[in-house]
Amino acid sequence: MSRDTGIDAALASGWFGAGLPDATRARLAALAELTSVATGAVVLREGAEVDSFGVVVDGRLAIRLAVPGRTAVTVLTVEPGDCIGWSALVPPHRATSTVIATEPTTVVTFDGPALRTAIDADPVLAAAVLWRVLEAVSRRLTATRTQLLDLFARADQEPW
Amino acid sequence: MTQPVSPVAQGPIRWLPLDDLDRLLDALRADGRTIVGPVVSDDAIVLDEIASAGDLPAGRGAEAGPGRYRLTDRGDAKRFDHAVGPMSPKRWTFPPRAPIRVARRTGAGVRFASADARPAPLALIGVRACELAALGIQDHVLLDGQAIDGDYRARRAATFVVAVECATPTSTCFCTSMGTGPEVRSGFDVALTELDEGYVVRTGSPAGSALIDSLDLPVADPSALDAAAAVVAGARAAMGTPLDMTNAHAGLAAAPEHPGWAAVAERCLGCTNCTLVCPTCFCTSVVQKSDLDGTTSTEERTWDSCFTDGFAKVAGGSFRPHGTDRYRQWLTHKFSSWWDQFGSSGCVGCGRCIAWCPVGIDVREELAVIAGVGPVPMPQLRTIALAAPASAPATASAPATASAPAPALGGYVTVHVDGMTRETADTVTLHLRTTDRRLLGGRPGQFVMAALPALSAAPISISRFRRDGLDLTIRAAGPATRALTGLERGETLGLRGPLGRGWPVEEMTGRDVVIVAGGIGLAPLRPLIDICLAARDTIGTVRLYLGTRTPADRLFVSEVGALVAGGQMDVRETVDRAGPDWLGRVGIVTQLFDRATWDGRNAVAFICGPERMMQATSEVLFGRGIDLDRTWVTLERNMSCGVGLCGHCQLGRFFVCKDGPVFSLAELGPAFTMEGL
Repeated sequence: MSRDTGIDAALASGWFGAGLPDATRARLAALAELTSVATGAVVLREGAEVDSFGVVVDGRLAIRLAVPGRTAVTVLTVEPGDCIGWSALVPPHRATSTVIATEPTTVVTFDGPALRTAIDADPVLAAAVLWRVLEAVSRRLTATRTQLLDLFARADQEPW
Repeated sequence: MTQPVSPVAQGPIRWLPLDDLDRLLDALRADGRTIVGPVVSDDAIVLDEIASAGDLPAGRGAEAGPGRYRLTDRGDAKRFDHAVGPMSPKRWTFPPRAPIRVARRTGAGVRFASADARPAPLALIGVRACELAALGIQDHVLLDGQAIDGDYRARRAATFVVAVECATPTSTCFCTSMGTGPEVRSGFDVALTELDEGYVVRTGSPAGSALIDSLDLPVADPSALDAAAAVVAGARAAMGTPLDMTNAHAGLAAAPEHPGWAAVAERCLGCTNCTLVCPTCFCTSVVQKSDLDGTTSTEERTWDSCFTDGFAKVAGGSFRPHGTDRYRQWLTHKFSSWWDQFGSSGCVGCGRCIAWCPVGIDVREELAVIAGVGPVPMPQLRTIALAAPASAPATASAPATASAPAPALGGYVTVHVDGMTRETADTVTLHLRTTDRRLLGGRPGQFVMAALPALSAAPISISRFRRDGLDLTIRAAGPATRALTGLERGETLGLRGPLGRGWPVEEMTGRDVVIVAGGIGLAPLRPLIDICLAARDTIGTVRLYLGTRTPADRLFVSEVGALVAGGQMDVRETVDRAGPDWLGRVGIVTQLFDRATWDGRNAVAFICGPERMMQATSEVLFGRGIDLDRTWVTLERNMSCGVGLCGHCQLGRFFVCKDGPVFSLAELGPAFTMEGL
């Protein structure tokens, strides 16, 4: 199996790549590489420049926010099929959170500037990638709103 | 001329001279009855005990309009020629306060007993057709269901009804629109039509006939019968064209978002007057009256009103936070969902809510605006179905001899604490021992009312059934649940139940099963998980998705760990937020399956958690192919009595406590997502 074929298969196995036309997925695979991330490794650091976009193939990563005076808070975990580092595509290309692997993790990784250049040059590729990124970000926004409601919090005082 | 003969009249129609009314009252008193009738007090005609006919409001009338009620002087000797005042027989048959249970504590033991309802025999004098209809409606609500109000049953059985035909209705009267009057048709022992010189007397029950026979009255002559018929015909004519109520039921049900609700809520003060003067409103609360050392307490049933802020209150807030929600609930219940629940309208057209509304809200106008009810002549009047006695009663007003309330519905069983498991900082599972077959025979998803003396009973889901008892998983949140979670081994508590409709376990056979729990919502799902394990061969793939607030809030941690290890079901957990030590999943519970690839077209789903979480979950599951009729949720509402009598837990046409708490989304329809319903 060639390098690209393995990446293509990895992309096809999850939500992000599964519905893409074969040619588009192959084009993406050619831009990517498979990266192994060890448990505890920091993939992105909040505030730092993001130079890569990734689609998780295996494992689990935690999205954390640092709160001065408190320990870091994990607000979301990212699992196979979902993406990390969407800030690589959206200015100002700085990480909105810290991403750390909590298990041995495999990621299909794209170089940020190279992916941006490819998207700018290829509207078909842009449409495929950006719709998915938008959907992933939208899902996170919706989930975050629900989290914000803190639905499982206990009431101060209940009637019984 | 048509004679005012009731289809249930028994014996010949007789004549009682005006000055001889005391003979009738004396006969009732000789029967040991307290007599309650109209008297003038505080510039109104109210109901009170009377000693003789001289106490009755001779020559006084009443005139009312929206937000207005005035006594008038007629200058004649008639005692009953007045429209209804603020009080109805409900004040006596369903009093504002009534003791229902007594709880006693002796050392570690608690015992519960029903309060002894032995009301004194009563005679109500001057009851109008609309009020007879109201008694019939309350009979049906409080006596014909699965659970029975014992105090009401005793009071109704002890009540003798002397009805009087209405002669002079007022502008707030609309019994002809509701099909309840003005003719007195049934539900009475004796019915009088008042003329200038005396009363035309009909009887409507064996007890009524026996009483009238004992007075040895002459038969009424034909001219008196003609005059009596003219009285009622005059009353009917005075009310003018009836409103066509045909559309009230469907019209209100279809108009929960009508702008008219907000407009009327702007005027409504939320004072509860309308519900307190209404002769059919039956919603109540239970209050605890305790002696100082807490060893004996009495549960008292008290009138409540859906207009109060706390009426729909549950943990964390109220389901009807706005005046708009509360006005909509009252009017929709009275004229629409009452039909769904009890097969009739909840309104009898007495007009009290109009007269005694301080801002003069007229329900007839609101119905016209919101439900399109208009003054269209009705070719045929509908009649309210009065509760039909199963066998001939001693008095017409005696309730149906319905079967006695099932003990576990009405009474508390004392159970022993065998052990406790602390689940989280504020949540404890009590392992309870009992031999009560009814409790042991409950279904997954059912709940019990758990009680300790001097504290409000708490509705608690059963979190496990065992051969010799059951588990309750309780979060300490208020005084009662704090006391329950503080119980020690060997102590006792009272349980009433099992109550409500549980999970439809049979729906799992031959299907895949998806169970989604949020927070303490796992507790009522735990017996269902037990069944999934026991019946593993008859059901397909089982997927269990669990969401909690933080890792420290997870319930049944070792059991869930065993489920993960056991491999008999696919178990996934997530928490809403976590510190760096937590290596599991973080995110809302839908994240566990919103990108899953399984096909839900042959799956049934069971969801329990906060309503907002269940909505989000069901939307994602629907996208996976699980239809609304295969998605079951359990709802939280203010469950106070647990048996559909107190009215607090209403959601549209449902009483959550007895029609639920488990519902399919297909059953709930828009009620599932509509705010403030």
